[in-house]
Amino acid sequence: MNTMAQTYRYIGKATPRRDGVRVVTGGALFVDDLDFDNLLYGKVLRSPHPHAIIKKIDSGRAQRLDGIKAVLTWKNIPDWKFGNPRIFRLLDRKVRYTGDAVALVAGESAEIADEASRLIEVDYEVLPAVFDDYEALRPGAPRLYDELPGNVLPPGDPFLGPTPLTQIVAGDVEKGLLEADFIVEGKCGYDNIPNPMPIESPRAVALWEEAGAGRDRVTVWVSNQAPYLMKLILSSIFGGRVEVRVIGGPCGGSFGSKIMSWRPICFAVALSKTTRRPVKVVYSKEEHLAAFVLRPASRLDIKVGMKRDGTVTAIAGDWLIGTGSHSQTTQAQVAVGCGEAMIAVRCKNWNVKPTIVCTNRAPSGIVRGFGGQELKCALFPILSRCMAELEIDPVDFIKKNFVKPGEGYLWRDGRWYDYRGIDFSQMMDKGAEVFGWKGKWKGWLKPTAVEGSKRTGVGVGVHGNADIGEDVSEAYVRLDGDGRALVYSCLAEHGTGQKNNAVKAAAEVLQIPLESVSITPGDTMITPFEFGPFGSRGTYAILTAVIKAAEEARKKLFELAAPLLGSDVSDLDTADGVIWVKANPEKRIRWQRVLFQRTILGHGRFEPDYSLSNCLMTFVEMEVDADTGKIGLLRVVNATDVGRIIDPQGLRGQLNGCLGTAGIDSAIFEETIVDPSTGRMLNANMIDYKWRTSCDLPPIENVVLETPFPTHRFHAAGVGEITTSAGPSAVLMAASNAVGVWLDSYPVTPDKVLKAVRNQELRIKKNEDISPL
Amino acid sequence: MKTFLHYDAHSIEDALSLLCRHRDRARLNAGGTDLLGLLKDMVLPRYPDLIVNIKTIPGLDYIEEDSERLRIGALTKLADLARSPSLSKSYSAISEAARAVAGPQIRNIATIGGNLCQDVRCWYYRYPAHIGGRMDCARKGQGPCFAVKGDNRYHAVIGAGKCFAVCPSDLAVVLAALDGCMTIVSRRGERRVAVGDFFGPLANALEADEMVKEIDVPRTSTSRIQTFLKFTLREPIDFAIVSVACAIELTEKVCSDARIIIGAVAPGPFRARQAEEVLIGREINEAAATQAAQAALEGAKPLAKNAYKIDIAKALVKRAVLKNNSPVV
Repeated sequence: MNTMAQTYRYIGKATPRRDGVRVVTGGALFVDDLDFDNLLYGKVLRSPHPHAIIKKIDSGRAQRLDGIKAVLTWKNIPDWKFGNPRIFRLLDRKVRYTGDAVALVAGESAEIADEASRLIEVDYEVLPAVFDDYEALRPGAPRLYDELPGNVLPPGDPFLGPTPLTQIVAGDVEKGLLEADFIVEGKCGYDNIPNPMPIESPRAVALWEEAGAGRDRVTVWVSNQAPYLMKLILSSIFGGRVEVRVIGGPCGGSFGSKIMSWRPICFAVALSKTTRRPVKVVYSKEEHLAAFVLRPASRLDIKVGMKRDGTVTAIAGDWLIGTGSHSQTTQAQVAVGCGEAMIAVRCKNWNVKPTIVCTNRAPSGIVRGFGGQELKCALFPILSRCMAELEIDPVDFIKKNFVKPGEGYLWRDGRWYDYRGIDFSQMMDKGAEVFGWKGKWKGWLKPTAVEGSKRTGVGVGVHGNADIGEDVSEAYVRLDGDGRALVYSCLAEHGTGQKNNAVKAAAEVLQIPLESVSITPGDTMITPFEFGPFGSRGTYAILTAVIKAAEEARKKLFELAAPLLGSDVSDLDTADGVIWVKANPEKRIRWQRVLFQRTILGHGRFEPDYSLSNCLMTFVEMEVDADTGKIGLLRVVNATDVGRIIDPQGLRGQLNGCLGTAGIDSAIFEETIVDPSTGRMLNANMIDYKWRTSCDLPPIENVVLETPFPTHRFHAAGVGEITTSAGPSAVLMAASNAVGVWLDSYPVTPDKVLKAVRNQELRIKKNEDISPL
Repeated sequence: MKTFLHYDAHSIEDALSLLCRHRDRARLNAGGTDLLGLLKDMVLPRYPDLIVNIKTIPGLDYIEEDSERLRIGALTKLADLARSPSLSKSYSAISEAARAVAGPQIRNIATIGGNLCQDVRCWYYRYPAHIGGRMDCARKGQGPCFAVKGDNRYHAVIGAGKCFAVCPSDLAVVLAALDGCMTIVSRRGERRVAVGDFFGPLANALEADEMVKEIDVPRTSTSRIQTFLKFTLREPIDFAIVSVACAIELTEKVCSDARIIIGAVAPGPFRARQAEEVLIGREINEAAATQAAQAALEGAKPLAKNAYKIDIAKALVKRAVLKNNSPVV
């Protein structure tokens, strides 16, 4: 189909966000805004030690405090376990990071609960702790779990299928290295474990009730984007006797992380199970920073072989992933990360062996970029050394090596996929042109301009993820006699406008006014299964389910209308609540008449498809002050091809979101700082955890191409997740070029720049070459 | 947040008598931008039972000038300092420093007295109690200074002993450069303390029964060329990694007197006397500025992770000296 000729009523048009006014005027009801009768407030007592056994715990004084309804410790908490492997207890006798949960309190007010938590007396047997990922692997290192010798987690996530991807092995690495014109052996870490930091901290309200016949029912009001997935997670924790209902309202951001909320949710559930009253648990910003979820730490130690023409002949070595105190999804992130590396860098010979290690710090888990950002931010600086030696322009390198139709990659389920998406070369050219790459790129370690102590440099990065068609989505679309439609989808709006887009898609298929389409709350009691907006699957996977449901409903409507119009189903068309015969538009009937005392329900299901990838390229121009070490982001250009824009403002918002939430700024100042001796997270506050404010935004230009994705009804694919992922390594590249010395540690803080400048001055004095990494 | 009694004071005497009676169980609250954070995180060894609101005391919010001095009431808002035309004209460094603090919302409630009296930002000192308990350190009267062996990237490089936290106040740096003085009152009487002497190694000079009433700056400062530079990791809402205030008196193009104060490198605003001496008697030019910058932090003893602050301080001193003194082209 020639999509250029195709016109849409809503797709690609700017339409107001339905929840917009409510959100900006404070009318939207977030979890903390909900009213409950008889509500109790839950608080968590947290560990002062990074690693300790609870020898004795006395909650007597806390329990006696007026207004306290429950105190739970490892002794009386339900034995709920989660994680991969499933060895992580809700409350354990052992604490594994400073800030780990020790006890829970439910009280009539937050203040009383807080006060009671301070009355709990705990005797600890303090154990030696380990904070460094390499140290944790050494023989004799403190061991976090009896079940995990050497602190190493078992590879693979069973959720991904029988043969989950646990490493990248392909071809013959030795042979590949022999074919190379240059080999670099290098180490690089993307290990500053930034926090995605959604505005709304983790929280939940839970109500446990008896459902009769020895069964229990628990209802949970959550702040995350995927209520149905949360239901599956919670059901697996509570067991089959408990009916779980999850309700997701507006969510103040997630960036992936909020689906790691099983622990705060289960805190509320456990307290409600004890008290049989609704219990609310709201993490403070400090808890959010110090005791929730961080990006995994990534350290790469590899050999890369490259030819003069930019062909990568071999990539081999070790990838160490630090997951902190435990893993929920780290193995899955490693699997996706491995696949994403293969998408970004064509290479016949691979041998990259991941190892996931536990240490005594807060856990790592889902953060947008999901393994791929972690791997690539460490890989690209090493590839850069090779490119520099062979004088290869990184834009040419990316263009040459990003996956193209006819090629393929291993994906998370361990299977090979032949790529059947689009060629992104044209988009890459366009991005480079808009950025002015050719004029600004002066070669490796060469500044674009020097003026006094100010030096500018440019860098580029790329990211692609075959998650646009991952996992299953289902939706219903109900048609009503009044000409309206209702979309049933288990989405909770987490800021991206996904619910709006679902409405748009249904309205487009049914050709009815947007105002005539409603969408259910993300309530598992109402809607069919929806995996949730993860990665960039919103457009390709979620919308496809909605589209199919709307198409099926439309077809059922025509089946009812056809006999009334004396016509075949295939001859009918509809718009604005009227059905007519295409050949004779005078023959028409209103939905109202067809649907008299009747509703129609269409069901749509999306089955996973891993043969497609999105792509984003980020160009940055940095300014470095060689006297103070200050680095500034002067300009960002993002280039992508989304097939077809669904919602222009939503897309712009996603692309402009490339800086924060552990994105580009994780190369500039976002990092989590753990005290080397106490294991305490030192910057667990919004002053010392540096994140960009809106006063500090550089100019961002977005180049968006629309080359149709043929397999989608609207020829569209999502890109939202990956907008943070291409930029961090580009920052390192740009800063290195500006200074004239390799900077390969995230983030590029003034002390590192000044050190590099001094090294460079020394080098000029000694007239030496740089030694390889 | 743990509860406390809250009392609106209606006069200085009112506030002082409460302080006198409750001593360290009471805390004064002006804008509250610092105090509330301390309370929420339960940082203080002694959580106050009583908060005395001094915003309700009339007559402490003023900027007045006479032939002798500039006088600023302790409750004057930073936003008012930032936008005062008379300050911009004659005491520009004060407005610049006020503008450099936090963001507009905070400047609208934060006061100059509070800015000078705010507690340190050391992340060990400020560690939130509800994440595994308060960190008892030397500044709290028990324990070591955790920064010495810990992550000390933002800590003092000079002049620290038992505690390596740095003075976080931007106004203090400028006021020290302008020879500013604080009037401190208690029921025992009134005393004057130079801003440069207000900050001690473990606490400021304020006794439990005292409050700051006024800040004044001698009129002589107006003839000086004033500069304030602040280096932060992000532009708005950040504390200085290093800041520098310069006040230079030129007589016939030659520097006849100079104050060079470096902020965020020491427990108080650090007066770089060696740098001042380099400048006095010389024309201000690139060579003099470079030499002054080199001398500015001579004798500094950085910790493991904060030597870079010395480089930044040098660069800032040089820039500050040259900024408003560049020869007219």
